[in-house]
Amino acid sequence: MKLTTKQLTLCAVLTAMALALSYLENLFPLALAIPIPGVKLGLANIVTVFALYALGPAQALMILTARCLLGAMFAGNANALLFSLLGGFAAMLAMILLVRLERFSVYGVSIGGAAAHNCGQMAAAVLTLGSAAPLYYLPVLLAVSLAAGALTGLVAGSLFQALEHTNLRKLI
Amino acid sequence: MRSSPKPRPNGWDALVVLVVLALAAGSALAVWGGGRTAAGPGTVVVTIGGQEVDRFPPEALLDSPRTYSGNGYTLELEYGLRGGGDPPLNHQAPSLEAGVQVAWADCPTRDCVRTGLITQRGQSIVCLPAGAIIRLTGTGAEDFGGVDAVVG
Amino acid sequence: MRRFIGFTLALALILSLTACFGPPVDPDTVQESIQVIAMDTAMFISTYGKRSTSAAYASEDLIRDLESKLSRTEEESEVSRLNAAGGQPVEVGPELAALLTAAEKYRADTHGAFDITVAPVVSAWGFTAGAFRVPAQEELEALLEKVDGSAVQVTEDGAGGYSAALAPGQSVDLGGIAKGYAADRLVDLFREYQVPRAMAQLGGNVLAWGDRPDGTPWRVGVQDPARPDEQNAFAGILNLKNAFAVTSGGYQRYFEEGGKRYHHIIDPATGYPADSDLTSVTVVADCTYDDCMGALCDAFSTAFFIMGEKEALDGWREWQEGPPSFFDLVLITEDGRVVVTQGLAESFTLEEGSGYTLEIVS
Repeated sequence: MKLTTKQLTLCAVLTAMALALSYLENLFPLALAIPIPGVKLGLANIVTVFALYALGPAQALMILTARCLLGAMFAGNANALLFSLLGGFAAMLAMILLVRLERFSVYGVSIGGAAAHNCGQMAAAVLTLGSAAPLYYLPVLLAVSLAAGALTGLVAGSLFQALEHTNLRKLI
Repeated sequence: MRSSPKPRPNGWDALVVLVVLALAAGSALAVWGGGRTAAGPGTVVVTIGGQEVDRFPPEALLDSPRTYSGNGYTLELEYGLRGGGDPPLNHQAPSLEAGVQVAWADCPTRDCVRTGLITQRGQSIVCLPAGAIIRLTGTGAEDFGGVDAVVG
Repeated sequence: MRRFIGFTLALALILSLTACFGPPVDPDTVQESIQVIAMDTAMFISTYGKRSTSAAYASEDLIRDLESKLSRTEEESEVSRLNAAGGQPVEVGPELAALLTAAEKYRADTHGAFDITVAPVVSAWGFTAGAFRVPAQEELEALLEKVDGSAVQVTEDGAGGYSAALAPGQSVDLGGIAKGYAADRLVDLFREYQVPRAMAQLGGNVLAWGDRPDGTPWRVGVQDPARPDEQNAFAGILNLKNAFAVTSGGYQRYFEEGGKRYHHIIDPATGYPADSDLTSVTVVADCTYDDCMGALCDAFSTAFFIMGEKEALDGWREWQEGPPSFFDLVLITEDGRVVVTQGLAESFTLEEGSGYTLEIVS
């Protein structure tokens, strides 16, 4: 896969933004409702959605992997890596599928991605704790993913609408 | 752009929302249904010399018991059911009556074997000579009417 | 319009994260648990509160530190060096000095029933190494000659240091008060770290700090001495808040030989396992305002077991200056009664199926 310099730069910038978003989402007091260490809202999926449409699945995957690895390194927490990888990849798979079907708007894709993200995190929690106890919180997580996915879709949708007026081919 | 995004929500999105809601409701029934008790043995955690060496649900012992050693002493941990009896035919199904016990050990006083079967979170089997602690832990609803500690 | 939708969604998201779904989690119930094998037993400590993690690990460090100083089996510990000194003075730290002084006071209080110099006799029965045997009468008499807690000397050297000396041929074992002392140190630690609640199970001793996360008192089961190997076999339940409880009973460690049962609580007067009319003694003290007098409770539980019901209750009355009690007792007698002193009347619940009858004394 050949990347132009512009694409490479864009990937790097998007990775940085995704990292920033994953730090930002730690400000939300999610742990108050769902006391499983490592569970996140998944706002960084905004970047994943954008990259998926703009650059395609291969580069979106690269950005996702880079973001997960760097995020875990900065946090100094190997456990976080498992959570973000499983969550991120699950979201990626769901979103690729939903985009391929060419029926859903960015909202549908984002909500599907958010739900899959939380299922991936749940899988990570069950694996790390070695018990089925975290499943207790799955219904709540899925309900939250509706709102988180809608928010992600809103931001991504606004971004695309703003870009409609520009000539995207020159950017990418 | 590789694909063209549809920035405005459309009718198909409702399908996604419905699927997610259905998943949420389904998991709620499956996980919360039948009362909100999360009783049961939880997870078995084995610590030797202060280090955690193993962590698994009691059902993992159905395939084969596990042996642990410390300070030259060995003990074997096996699955057990409260009240005795055979393990469930469906080996994967967790059971509220399930627990663990030490099948045998070669330490001098065999206190760990004498402890017998433990089936509730917070209970533990200790082998002092080996420096081993086998404990049932887990998250979820706390209160099932048991005690928090035992003096004596 | 878009901004409005976005704002509403974000607000809905934040609101949904408050305690509407799932069980609400109070930051005060953030919990950390540690377990450590020390002082010849397994200890489990759970702390709650914002500093629960640092408090839990500090507790572990504290216990390991005490173990390294007080263990009779660790060669380099202060106690081991004291025991090996053959009567010569040995430099000791402030903790061991305080404990030796306290042990002597308790020996006097209990008229010799509690005596840390009975250690060689306990070893002769094989309880230290696990190789049980019944010593011959002559052997016991020879060993008993050295049992004399009053011969233990503790001196301050004027520069803030301490030294201690035993009489030649003596050995001490602080196992009978070390866990109680550890509980007092833990209370200081919990106060320092502002831990609102904690449950420390130090072998058979229980420190119930604060109350349960749901606001009810900690539930501490009292082991039924008649069914020592059964799980959940209780004579009764103590509902405790900010309290320390310690139990002594022959059923905790014993061996059988020639059809007779020999347990580990040796009477310093006879050299034999105490032959008392009690099967277990539990001492409970309140820690709300000060320390729990853990070492005292620990020592008295052993002494009262040796002394028997009547003398134990006399001892209890001697220490009471009126409510609230200095400490309280749960005595389980050989003839099937559970005797509870007045201060625990509200907090103790007899276990229905245990077959005991409850008696409250004042």
